[in-house]
Amino acid sequence: MTVQALRKSGASPSPAPAKAIVPLRELNGIVHLLTCGSVDDGKSTLIGRLLWDASDLYEDQRENVRKSGRKAADSDLPDYSMLLDGLVAEREQGITIDIAWKYFDTETRRFVIIDSPGHEQYTRNMASGASHADVAILLVDARAGVKKQTKRHAAILDLVGVKRVVLAVNKMDLANYSEDVFRKIEADFRTLCWKFGFWDATAIPLSAVYGDNVSTKSDAMPWYTGPHLLEHLEKAPSRGTAASGAFRLPVQTVLRDGQDFRGLAGTISSGSVKVGDSVTDALSGRSAKVIRIATMGGDLKSATSGQAIALQLDADIDVSRGAVLSSSEMRPVAAQSVEARLVWLSETAFDPRAGYLLRTVTDLVPISNLEIKALLDLETMSSHPSTHCNVNDIAVAKISLGRPAAIDVFSDISETGTLMIVDAVTGASIAGGVATAINAKSDAPTDGHFILTREMLANGLCRDLSLSSSDREEFMRRANEAAILLRAAGVSVAIEPPPMVDDGMDPGI
Amino acid sequence: MTAAPSHLDLLEAESIHIFREAAAQFRKPVLMYSIGKDSTVLLHLARKAFFPQKLPFPLLHIDTTWKFHDMIAFRDKTVKDFGLDLIVHVNEDGIKRGINPIDHAPSIHTDVLKTQALKQALDKYGFDAAFGGARRDEEASRAKERVFSFRAAGHRWDPRKQRPEMWRLLNGRLGTGESVRVFPMSNWTEKDVWRYIQREKLDVVPLYFAAERPTILRNGQLLMQDDARLQPKPGEEVKMRRIRFRTLGCYPLTAAVESDAADIESVVAETLGAQTSERQGRLIDHDQAGAMEKKKQEGYF
Repeated sequence: MTVQALRKSGASPSPAPAKAIVPLRELNGIVHLLTCGSVDDGKSTLIGRLLWDASDLYEDQRENVRKSGRKAADSDLPDYSMLLDGLVAEREQGITIDIAWKYFDTETRRFVIIDSPGHEQYTRNMASGASHADVAILLVDARAGVKKQTKRHAAILDLVGVKRVVLAVNKMDLANYSEDVFRKIEADFRTLCWKFGFWDATAIPLSAVYGDNVSTKSDAMPWYTGPHLLEHLEKAPSRGTAASGAFRLPVQTVLRDGQDFRGLAGTISSGSVKVGDSVTDALSGRSAKVIRIATMGGDLKSATSGQAIALQLDADIDVSRGAVLSSSEMRPVAAQSVEARLVWLSETAFDPRAGYLLRTVTDLVPISNLEIKALLDLETMSSHPSTHCNVNDIAVAKISLGRPAAIDVFSDISETGTLMIVDAVTGASIAGGVATAINAKSDAPTDGHFILTREMLANGLCRDLSLSSSDREEFMRRANEAAILLRAAGVSVAIEPPPMVDDGMDPGI
Repeated sequence: MTAAPSHLDLLEAESIHIFREAAAQFRKPVLMYSIGKDSTVLLHLARKAFFPQKLPFPLLHIDTTWKFHDMIAFRDKTVKDFGLDLIVHVNEDGIKRGINPIDHAPSIHTDVLKTQALKQALDKYGFDAAFGGARRDEEASRAKERVFSFRAAGHRWDPRKQRPEMWRLLNGRLGTGESVRVFPMSNWTEKDVWRYIQREKLDVVPLYFAAERPTILRNGQLLMQDDARLQPKPGEEVKMRRIRFRTLGCYPLTAAVESDAADIESVVAETLGAQTSERQGRLIDHDQAGAMEKKKQEGYF
């Protein structure tokens, strides 16, 4: 009898998981996992098996699986994919883009499983799911190996910034646990990954149904000496542990407390800051020193990426929502136009006459012109010139802004390089994207390019406003809305930027 | 901070980020305060998000008039201690019609005194955003919920109008007639809520801790006789039992568990080692199949 036949006969008892020892302490960070692959590749069974073996499932959930009598295909083992019921679109709710979230704890870690439908035409689903992932598990059937779809998936992961990828070579039991089969697939995967910017790409041979190399080392594949899947995942760095990179704090809101406190509140998206540091507003170029890092739990001496804080500065540099505070040496460019790669999310195709807005982490900017230049073919990674763009397309686009915004190139500093195109009228999220290049100079104004001057606004639409900072925010809001209305009427429009402060630095850099 | 952030640190920071985004993007937000443990954490996170400033929005409590008396006392003390602005709304019309959870099906009581009442209050005050403590781990139909969950005119949840959310970008630009429910604790689990209450030393309603309380055993569920409106039926008796609650709501619809966990440490230990998921104690969920999904479509969370 082969190992496989032995297992199928049910001679080996269904594995009874050791009662998970539940930690009372806090867990060592969070890792967000995206699983990509079609149902046929055994995705639900793999996740189910991981939950069954390694997680803190409630006993009633385990009992449901045991009692159901449902069996995994071709075996006497319980159908672990049941644990995903309600998640894997079995009860279709008709949500435009479906992503289901599932949480589980091992003894040391919180894992978040992000599940998105794996059909080939669901680029947008996968892209939005992947944008939240720290690690992606690409699932392939050992009998089929790396397919076109695997390439598309890798390309989408790379586009939205996933840096760690695991190739789970599943159904090894149906490939006689053959090392040759695995090595061939592993080599194809290596070749594929060369094209992308992944930091870590690991292939693991496994069988989700039998649990080989899922959460324990497989006896059936002694030739494999690498980590099993769970072991590999537990070693992946948690989100929010990277403090490297230039400091960025996108300002969400200004907090006030009496006359003395004006705190610029936000979540540090890159790098770190400490009391005494000089920080610079990317757009105006004005700098000030940090004198206090306030949180309700007490003031901090320093703070790093991922922390939500409020900074008090030694001088009022007129910063409000939408600004990005940066290290004085390395600050983002004040973008007048942005080259971007966009995933078209909306069922409504690109319309050159529509009014669009650009959402950055905390800013909302009128777009004076959105130009689709090409569409990307994800299988070949080549681009074809195009001026139109439809749902699920990946487009290369140029976005001209109605006023400057602080934006980074995504591959340098990711979070401040993320973008969302918003429909100005309905508010719908039209496309998500990443900045690939930033231009600080505005394009030469063409005929009919209308400049909404600050004087014009101050004397009319905004004549009731003072120079207080809340009124200045309102000034900007009205300017944006006026630009949107003009844009919707077909007028190419730009908002005159606030006067620059001459501090001897080139504001364009 | 030298140590790597724990999972609770990361969850807390994410929730604060969501609170600040929503407060900045929406014209008139409100925090839905339902007094239980999730609301306690939600309120704490909101206070952290805007510290040292006062909360820039009021709290809204939809009072069905059937909440545990201890809940109302806890609510009033919380509001006083933290200097909060509280709005209490009751569906007076429903009360006049005599709707109650003892004589009517739980689904009718919930619809009239909770769902309808919530819509009335949101319309009355013109709130365009309501913070809630709902979590994706609570139930399968919530696993796909967005952080910004959009409601069409009439508070209807239209699956096709839900917006994709990518990276940390939250798009809160409203279309005509739209409003939004904001869920800052989307990624928390029940266990996280308790661990966080313990870590931050938060006060919670005493009903979460075991004590001798008057109970009635009905349909296999332990109900607490919180006042004279709940009376034993023939064959039932009022009996003192040592009980506590895993979730809190309208007292005739909330099942207790027998427990000796009388302090936060033992409640956390009991929750972390629990063998059943928390919704077992909510009677409204067992009322009809797909109950939660239906409630969501109708405007309940």
